[in-house]
Amino acid sequence: MRLLLVEDDRRVAAHIAKGLGEAGHTVDVVGDGREGLYRTAGESYDAVILDRMLPEVDGLTILRTMRAAGNTTPVVILSALGEVDERVTGLKAGGDDYLVKPFAMSELIARLEVQVRRTAPAGERMRLEFADLALDLATREARRGGRRIDLTPREFLILEYMMRHARQVVTRSMLLERVWNYQFDPQTNIIDQHMSRLRQKVDHLGERQLIQTVRGAGYALREED
Amino acid sequence: MPRILRSLTFRLALLYLALFTLSIAGLLALVWWFAVLEPLRLVRESVAAEAVALAAFYDPADPGPLVDRLALRGETPGEHHGLHALVSADGRILAANMTRWPARGNGDWLQFELDEFEMPDGREREVLAYDVGLPDGARLLVGRDIEELDDREELIANAVGWGSAAALLFGLLGGILMSLVVARRIEAVSRTARRVMSGDLSGRVAVRGTGDDFDRLGETLNAMLARIEELVEAVSRVSDQIAHELRTPLTRLHADLEDLAAAADTPERRLLAEQALREAVELQATFDALLRIARIETGRHGNQSERVDLTVLLSDAADLYGPAAEARAQRITCHIETGLVVQGDRNLLFQAVSNLLDNAIKYGPGGGVVELHGRRSGEAVEVGVRDHGAGIPVAERGRVTERFYRVPGGGADGVGLGLSLVAAVAKRHGARLALEDAAPGLRASLRLPAARTGRS
Repeated sequence: MRLLLVEDDRRVAAHIAKGLGEAGHTVDVVGDGREGLYRTAGESYDAVILDRMLPEVDGLTILRTMRAAGNTTPVVILSALGEVDERVTGLKAGGDDYLVKPFAMSELIARLEVQVRRTAPAGERMRLEFADLALDLATREARRGGRRIDLTPREFLILEYMMRHARQVVTRSMLLERVWNYQFDPQTNIIDQHMSRLRQKVDHLGERQLIQTVRGAGYALREED
Repeated sequence: MPRILRSLTFRLALLYLALFTLSIAGLLALVWWFAVLEPLRLVRESVAAEAVALAAFYDPADPGPLVDRLALRGETPGEHHGLHALVSADGRILAANMTRWPARGNGDWLQFELDEFEMPDGREREVLAYDVGLPDGARLLVGRDIEELDDREELIANAVGWGSAAALLFGLLGGILMSLVVARRIEAVSRTARRVMSGDLSGRVAVRGTGDDFDRLGETLNAMLARIEELVEAVSRVSDQIAHELRTPLTRLHADLEDLAAAADTPERRLLAEQALREAVELQATFDALLRIARIETGRHGNQSERVDLTVLLSDAADLYGPAAEARAQRITCHIETGLVVQGDRNLLFQAVSNLLDNAIKYGPGGGVVELHGRRSGEAVEVGVRDHGAGIPVAERGRVTERFYRVPGGGADGVGLGLSLVAAVAKRHGARLALEDAAPGLRASLRLPAARTGRS
């Protein structure tokens, strides 16, 4: 992917650029808002990573300018402002995702990939398939091969989200945000227990393991080991 | 006691009314004294004197001179017209300018009424007469017309009756009106106070611009509120600054530790770097929680205007924590009524319920039951989480919502901010976090004001 990073803190910018480079992406780094405004207007990127507080022109102004000009490039906002209302402001300005500093590199990469390789929007397809796994969105039925999988409504939602983003890393916080739709801090890790229960139902003994744990990042629906 | 009677204004109005009525009564008594009693006394005196003087003229052999004098007196015009009757011992009327008089009374003084048809001039009379028994058994009545005084007395009695009735009525109405007006203005002040207490520091008392007492009180309160807002803003500006200033180095620290972990050449070094990274994340989480509590408490966090379906929220929370409970062989049982709606911030409420469930699972015994309640009770919605663990000793209960406080020997991990956050969220929603002994275990409950129905 070709990415633009607008971040004024040099060390943080270098760290992000390095991480993204190691993940195989090309990153242009700019250090102030004015430069960010030029780049987003003049060049084409797969996604933009935008710090919210920047010298010269702030992140939200760049974002609004982009959207007003009809630029639909996915934008992930980085911010030291972590409160829910700040987040809402960021998303309302046209951001596709909002990440509070500090964050794990794997979290940023996972969220970027989900934004860039977006599958067809929800509602267009009534059936999702991956390997021998199939979800019928109309009848809320899950099958693996010839076997019917008995899922709770919430497990169905988790599996649906993972199938929409098959082969991509889905982090725990992404699942919490998208499947439960509450902005809050769980005090303990509650997603792993949901995932192990789901895995017991999806991957039976002798079957190929589809739900895979990605160390230090989250989960992914993958066929290969 | 009815509410109006507890109103100070109404009680003052009643007191004022009582004083007012008393002074009116005093004034009327004085008028009665000067306009009725005193003239009556003078009439009585003159009648007594006249009676004695006239009786002296009586001669049983020749009543003529007395009759002449009586006639002369009866014809003299004056304020109190002279009236008389002279009856001989054998009952003959020798002279009279009245048609009727009482039979011999028990005393010397007689007072009686004569109707208009009983008088030659067709006027009503009230007569005050002195009854003199003459030596030969004849009877002389000497009187005067006191109709005017009688009328005056009646007038005063009427004035007292109607006047006090009207004063009482208007006084009561005025008292009620006054206390309503004052109560309304006091209510406006306390409404503002409540608004400020609930976190909206921009609330101000409405001032009418008339410069009256309430305006002056309002202006003073507003000046105080402005000052408070200024101070709170200064504090929050500082804490926002700290937040930002700390977050930047924490972000760098996080970045460097990630790089360090990635570049580690031995497994031990990698483990150390990852441990340091986890500590950095914990530090950030604690710091975030502290800031969030501060922001909720100063009312700068959360949306109060949302209608939140607690029935859905509670089942979502139970559903989210189900597997965590199962991992400790526990079960979450739900007793959630349908249609529980409150006004507030869904994310904060979810956070609060989630913290309570997290605690119940953590502190409840393995294999036990965690109960989640949601029910309507009067004008409130009650949310309760109960575990079957050791509970919290009474002495500690007041302190567990303090920041960083952990029950000594409680055993579990965490930094001790979970319940502080719940308490802050509760306060923000006009509720209180109650911790009770469920014997065994702890019952934590929130009583949230129910949202008004009918609006969607």
